[in-house]
Amino acid sequence: MIETLSYEYPASDAVDRRAHVGVVASGNCEILLEPAQNGNASVVVRTSVTGFGATWNAVLARFFVRNPVAVQIEINDFGATPAVVALRLEQALEAAR
Amino acid sequence: MSALLLAESFAERGARERARALLDAQSFRELIGPFERLASPYLAAQGVVPQSDDGCVVARGTIGGKRACVVATDGRFLGGSVGEIGGAKIAGALELARRDAERGTPMRTVLALDTGGIRLQEANLGILAVTEICDAIVALRMLQPVVAVIAGRVGVYGGLSLSTALCSQIIVSEGARVGLNGPDVVETESGIEEMDSSDRPLIWRVTGGRMRFEQGFATALVADDVEAIRAAVQHAFEAPRELGPLEPQAFPDPRLDLDTFLRAMGIES
Amino acid sequence: MNSAWNTRRRRKDERLARVAHLVRDRRFEGRDAVAVLQELIEPGDRLCLEGNNQKQADFLSRSLAAVDPQRVHDLHLLISVIARPEHIALFERGIATHVDFSYSGPQSLRLAQQVADGRVQIGAIHTYLELFARYFVDLTPDIALIAADEADAHGNLYTGPNTEETPTIAEATAFRDGIVIAQVNRIVDTCTRVDIPGDWIDLVVVADKPYYIEPLFTRDPEQINDVQVLMAMLVLRGIYERHRVQSLNHGIGFDTAAIELILPTYGERLGLRGEVCTHWILNPHPTLIPAIESGWVRSVHCYGGELGMERYVAARPDVFFTGRDGSMRSNRAFAQTAGHYATDLFIGSTLQIDPDANSSTATLGRIAGFGGAPNLGSDPRGRRHPSVPWLEMTSGDEEVRRGRKIVVQLVETFQGSGVPTFVERLDAVELGRSANLPIAPVMIYGDDVTHVVTEEGVAYLYRAQNIDERRAALAAIAGVTPVGLRAEEQRTQALRASGVVAFPEDLGVRRSDANRTLLAARSIRELVEWSGGLYDPPRRFRSW
Repeated sequence: MIETLSYEYPASDAVDRRAHVGVVASGNCEILLEPAQNGNASVVVRTSVTGFGATWNAVLARFFVRNPVAVQIEINDFGATPAVVALRLEQALEAAR
Repeated sequence: MSALLLAESFAERGARERARALLDAQSFRELIGPFERLASPYLAAQGVVPQSDDGCVVARGTIGGKRACVVATDGRFLGGSVGEIGGAKIAGALELARRDAERGTPMRTVLALDTGGIRLQEANLGILAVTEICDAIVALRMLQPVVAVIAGRVGVYGGLSLSTALCSQIIVSEGARVGLNGPDVVETESGIEEMDSSDRPLIWRVTGGRMRFEQGFATALVADDVEAIRAAVQHAFEAPRELGPLEPQAFPDPRLDLDTFLRAMGIES
Repeated sequence: MNSAWNTRRRRKDERLARVAHLVRDRRFEGRDAVAVLQELIEPGDRLCLEGNNQKQADFLSRSLAAVDPQRVHDLHLLISVIARPEHIALFERGIATHVDFSYSGPQSLRLAQQVADGRVQIGAIHTYLELFARYFVDLTPDIALIAADEADAHGNLYTGPNTEETPTIAEATAFRDGIVIAQVNRIVDTCTRVDIPGDWIDLVVVADKPYYIEPLFTRDPEQINDVQVLMAMLVLRGIYERHRVQSLNHGIGFDTAAIELILPTYGERLGLRGEVCTHWILNPHPTLIPAIESGWVRSVHCYGGELGMERYVAARPDVFFTGRDGSMRSNRAFAQTAGHYATDLFIGSTLQIDPDANSSTATLGRIAGFGGAPNLGSDPRGRRHPSVPWLEMTSGDEEVRRGRKIVVQLVETFQGSGVPTFVERLDAVELGRSANLPIAPVMIYGDDVTHVVTEEGVAYLYRAQNIDERRAALAAIAGVTPVGLRAEEQRTQALRASGVVAFPEDLGVRRSDANRTLLAARSIRELVEWSGGLYDPPRRFRSW
């Protein structure tokens, strides 16, 4: 089944525009990134590989510590490894700046 | 060898980038893009994560300076398979193109298909979508050419291959395949003597782009190169070559709506 | 001679006499193969069978599996790679009950089952060169079953691009009065070239079909993803460029294929052509073609051949080792020796790494072995010739010091399905216990590892002052694995400052630059174009 996970992190920096990267293919994920309304960073993850909430939190927390951007992120995931997720997040951020 | 480093593969690109590549520079404008979040409502219940654009991109812009619309399916999302939403995007784009053509403002229409066919998880809706797409292509091509570009890594299979066959110009690359049933289906149904699905050269000999071009099914064979495909698309619009006679009277009015159809069948609507 | 001193020679003559009625001019017919093997081989014999990494003497192995186990049993099998189903059949049928080998990837599960069922005892798992070495010490074969392309009337053999370890096996066996039997694809008047002299060969048979070859070293560029490109960039900048690595060996994998494919693009941009990656010990990887064509490569020596690369190699004799006939000559024993002593760097991947950088691919339920990796991924303490990278690995002003080979482990922090690469304890430890192996099957020992590279960065373990610092450096690049989450932020920053750890930004690598457009070829088709049509991909890799 599909697991839906939600996370929030403190944020301070702004981004210029929204961005979309990736694809929902095996071992991959799609990321939709938009400027946040309320000055926090919030993430919703939809994944078909269940039970890895702690890993998602670790990856996202690390990303936002390094990049405290106030964004709303949606991730549609099909088994991407933390390495792939981290790379897609960087790509999305780059496109949003 | 530096020429190889400069070549731009079309097949490498995702659907959005293919649509962008086929339209004139800077003219790309997506309709119902990922942020509209018009995704499949049926996949999550079946344990499949939907993609925000349902694996289908519709974009407007220009081709050779003329108004154009490009539809591209993404072969990487569920094999590029067509479900309700993606199918509606394709059929809707064709429908809009037909209306524009009737109003005297035609839109060059390109279908860059990279799909294994109908999405099994949405089977009947996919079949309905394909019938609408076929319908819409026939209606549109009575007014203008409809160009198919089959140049991805999946190719085009299933119901969408029927749709492709209805297009007026079919541009294929050597790496693409065009077939109805996938090779593994043929092998399962008809035995390994009929089709050994592990024999890749055989698959391409039977359904590959070069064979389809040599058979006369495809009208142009191109290298997997963005510039070459762009040129082939423009040429297809500027110097069209029909695929044999298409007699409009052979088809009932493609604008037949559901009510009229039911009345004709004697069914209360 | 006093007959007490030539028992081996007399025994050989007796055996050959038993089959003389089936042999004419050194040759026997394929239909008599089972009968010949049954007459010749005696229970308890040490039998070396060519199951190599690529080439398989499969006609002889199929024939051997068909002998009567009442007559031929309890053989001690010596084999580089347990690759084919009939190899396992030898154990199942009681034809062989002991085995010494190096690798069994394709049959690792079935081998484990045979061991668990008590049908075979493993002497030891070796690295290739170690196994060949023992053929000259305590594991000399009584019988060797080998494969070649051609034989002439004198028994001279042509083994061509897939020469691999055939000369080594034949030499050890022939010169201690063992019996060497060769299956060949065809008999010729004159061999294309003589790879093995007929004096070493006792019997020849034409096989029912050409010997089987597995295309193990072909990696489809379409399968390389952005993360692998990122790691390739880190290796190129953080290791090859930094240490000026000229001679090297790549363990096979998509990540190393990515390195090969970014040399003409990213490597060119960095101005490294001619400075690094000039001399290779490597099978003829199709993914090296763009670098060769772009002028990066001065020489390549190969362990074996690779299906589809024959014409390309023959057209590049300045780069590859080729005979007077034009075709490639490979040699696993020499390539392994070169990979040990004469290269500055080895880089490969693994499934698990522990906090001390010990690594293994051993998985519970399978007995696979490691092939050449333990040899290539170890420091050659006998080396005496210096090079810039070798000297750079050690420091200090001691009057007596040595250099060190660069040994790199290249891994993503997680394997698929959320399985971490970095673990507290290798599965190999438990596997060793449950399979009653005397030592845990470790592929590469941590104290041989000088660098570890993940998508998070590079750990320069050779620079660590002590074991605590090594562990901290490893944890710093272990991402969000349990091992990585224990890394302390301040410690990591200090390690970055002192150059023991480097993140991508420390190396001038932008993560978002890492994508497939950096690959000089992104499909098999493009590799064919790079080769000017000389590369003939095997059917399973074709998409046209």
